[in-house]
Amino acid sequence: MAFPRLLGQLPLLLVQTSSTIIQRNFSVSTAAAAVQKMTRVRVVDNSSLGNTPYHRPPRVIHVYTKNGVGKVGDKVLLAIKGQKKKALIVGHKMPGERMTPRFDSNNVVLIEDNGNPTGTRIKVPVPTSLREMKGDYSKVLAIANTFV
Amino acid sequence: MNNILCRSRRLLSSACRKSASLDQSAVSRCVSLLSKARCHRVTVALSSGQQHWRQGASLRCPFEPKRCYTDTGDSKLTERAEKLEEETNQVESNRSSINSQSQGFSEVFTLNVLVSLLRQENAVDLCVIKVPDHIQYAEHFIVVSGVSPRHLRAMALYAIKVYKFLRKDGEPHVKIEGKEAEDWMCVDFGNIVVHFMLPETREVYELEKLWTLRAYDEQLKKIPAETLPEDFIFDGELPK
Repeated sequence: MAFPRLLGQLPLLLVQTSSTIIQRNFSVSTAAAAVQKMTRVRVVDNSSLGNTPYHRPPRVIHVYTKNGVGKVGDKVLLAIKGQKKKALIVGHKMPGERMTPRFDSNNVVLIEDNGNPTGTRIKVPVPTSLREMKGDYSKVLAIANTFV
Repeated sequence: MNNILCRSRRLLSSACRKSASLDQSAVSRCVSLLSKARCHRVTVALSSGQQHWRQGASLRCPFEPKRCYTDTGDSKLTERAEKLEEETNQVESNRSSINSQSQGFSEVFTLNVLVSLLRQENAVDLCVIKVPDHIQYAEHFIVVSGVSPRHLRAMALYAIKVYKFLRKDGEPHVKIEGKEAEDWMCVDFGNIVVHFMLPETREVYELEKLWTLRAYDEQLKKIPAETLPEDFIFDGELPK
C-alpha cells in the first residue's frame, strides 16, 4: 500500500512508474461469520444421512447457545434431507482465538439425542481444543482420524 | 463409601504387588492379617514403599471395621467391636507421626491402578492401546465392554471414585461424559482415556481398529474420496 507513495517520492531511484504493483506475501480473505441460523454446513463424518446427496444442502435451524452464534464445540440443530438432526460444530470459517485452527468450511458432525455420534469415522481434521472445553467431546475425538 | 475404601485398599494391594504376581488368595490373606492386627502389630513382609500405605490404612481402620468382612469371615465382627476402644488411643499417637505425609496413600492413579480396578470389576474385553506420540491426544486409550448398561455405569463411577481418592491437590477433577447415553460412556483422565461400551456399540464403532491402525483403518478406507463436481468454479475470496 505504501509502494505508490514511495514511487512518487523517490523518482530518481526507482525506474518503474507503472500502475501500482501490489505484492503481498500473505493471503487476504473476506470476513466470515460464525455458524448461525440458516448457514449451510458441511457434514464431515461418514454417516449415511450426511453423505447421501440431496437437492438442498444441510442448514442450521437452531443454535443451542445463549446468543445464536455457534463456535467450535456448540450443538446445533440441522435440517438434513427433510428431517431434523442435532450436530456438533467442529470447525468454522470465522477466525477464533489465536493459535486455534481456522477451517475453510463450516464443519459439523452429526450427533444423536443421547450424544453418540451418528457416523463412525471422521476423516477431516478435528481441533484438539475440543478436549479442554466443557462438554462431552471425547466420543467425537475418539472417532476422529486426524487432529489439528 | 466405607465399602469402596475397602475395595480400593484391596485393589491397591493388588496393584502394588503386580510385579511380585501374588494371587488373589495371598492378597486376601494379607488384608485379613492387616485388619486383624489393626495394621501395626503383625509384621507382614511388605516392601518399604508399602509401609506408608499400611500406616495410612491404619488411619482408616477405626472407621470401617464393621464393613470389611467380605474376605475375612463374620467371626471377626464381634472382636472388632471390643478392639475399637483400645485401638483408638494407639491410632491417635500414630496420627501425629503420620501427619508429615498428608496423604495416607503414596499411590498415584496410574494405568496399572486403572487396569487392575477394571479387572476387579469383571470388565469384559479390556483393551489398552498405547497411543503413539505424534498424536497428542492421550498416552493410553482403553476400551472396555460391560455386561449391561448398569454394569458400565458402575464401572465408570467406581473408576472415578478411586481417582478422587488418589487425586493430589492441583490435579483436575474428572467427569463422566455421555451419562445420558446408556451404551457408551467415556472418562478422560488427562493422560488416559477410557471408553465403556456395550459389545454391540463396540462392534459398530470399532475404536480399537481405528486407534491401532491409524490411517489404514478399514472404515476410513471405505469413505469415498471427495471429488469436486465438474461445474465447480473456485471464486477466490477478494478483499472488499
